[in-house]
Amino acid sequence: MSRSSLYHEQTARQRLSSLVDPDTFREFLPPPERVMSPYLPHLDVPVSFDDGLVTGRAALDGKPVYLAAQVGQFVGGSVGEVHGAKLTGILKASARDSIPCIILVESGGVRLHEGSSGEIGISEAMRAVFECRAKRVPTIAVIGADIGAYGGMGILSACCDFRIMTEHGRLGISGPIVIEKWMGKQAYDSSNRSLIWKTSGGKTKYLLNDANVLTHDDVTSIGGALKKLLSKSSPITLKTVKTRQHELESRLTRFGSTTCAEEIWNSLGIKDIKAASLASAPEFVAMTKSKHAKAKPETKKK
Amino acid sequence: MEKFAKSFPSKPLSWPRSKKWALAGVVGSGNLEVLFEPNTKSPDKMECHVESSIPGYKDSWLAALEDFASNYSVGGVKVGIHDQGADPIVVTLRLRQAYDHLIQKTP
Repeated sequence: MSRSSLYHEQTARQRLSSLVDPDTFREFLPPPERVMSPYLPHLDVPVSFDDGLVTGRAALDGKPVYLAAQVGQFVGGSVGEVHGAKLTGILKASARDSIPCIILVESGGVRLHEGSSGEIGISEAMRAVFECRAKRVPTIAVIGADIGAYGGMGILSACCDFRIMTEHGRLGISGPIVIEKWMGKQAYDSSNRSLIWKTSGGKTKYLLNDANVLTHDDVTSIGGALKKLLSKSSPITLKTVKTRQHELESRLTRFGSTTCAEEIWNSLGIKDIKAASLASAPEFVAMTKSKHAKAKPETKKK
Repeated sequence: MEKFAKSFPSKPLSWPRSKKWALAGVVGSGNLEVLFEPNTKSPDKMECHVESSIPGYKDSWLAALEDFASNYSVGGVKVGIHDQGADPIVVTLRLRQAYDHLIQKTP
């Protein structure tokens, strides 16, 4: 069977094994272990052998890493109790062993079928992210798959040290359909792909400094970006928190009343919207480099 | 939800030493996941455990599985299936993919 190198076309397991050094990925709680959702059978919803999360350990550039990859096609990559517990476990292992954690995000957030158990699962995982960050152990979210990173997984991604996005990726809290249902089609048309990607897509998130890296949609580029980030961390100190708060306040002042995402692109230095929309990720990065002075909170690890 | 288990006669498979299991597909709409595991107790049978969200198609399942068991050497394999409404052609495709994953050197 031919294997695509396009990240968004790969399965979760293919992504993991093609991003890390060859033949180094070892899966934790693999399908034969059958650690599955106890709730879904009661609702007549089929379960999955891995509950939609693949976790394990591997080497990247010769260095050990812990990894998790969500399976977007299984109930929208949603976080149920078991899924959340596996995610929390891998993050806690990272904090314990001081080994970087890479999360390949593809999720709409909490699995609503599992109610509070899913909410608690995702909250525990977020707490574990901060355990890593307190110990200066890098946590990196990769967002480039079809479902994107929404709901609780959007928040969790934002909690990580770094976010790598592809043009294909999307990052937000409420998904497009949710916003449309609440605010109406006039306010936000979820079938308007250009609008969706200009508000939550990788390019916009990179411009706004929510994504640290924008890459091609292929495993070689994403792997290269990961290697560069493994030795870095983004510490949480009073100073960095104040800087981020200031950034967000000024974003609100500048863009709070903006109704069109293209205005944001314009005022962040993109003059030719059409050319920027068509540009590949590296071209887009080059176009914005000189104009948009990105804040760099990254520091070398102690 | 429809659940059933059945074994089908099949020629023995020489299970590759480097693999403990093989998985194909995902539980999504019109799709299914298929897990192959070794079953040393009955080397001349393909033992199937099926869970499907769509009830009432047991006859089609049995036909598709029996067909696969007679076309491939999958004796000594325990097959686990979680289905969300895949049609028989997709079922056969996933079984074939799991088989390919198993006998190939790379995953």
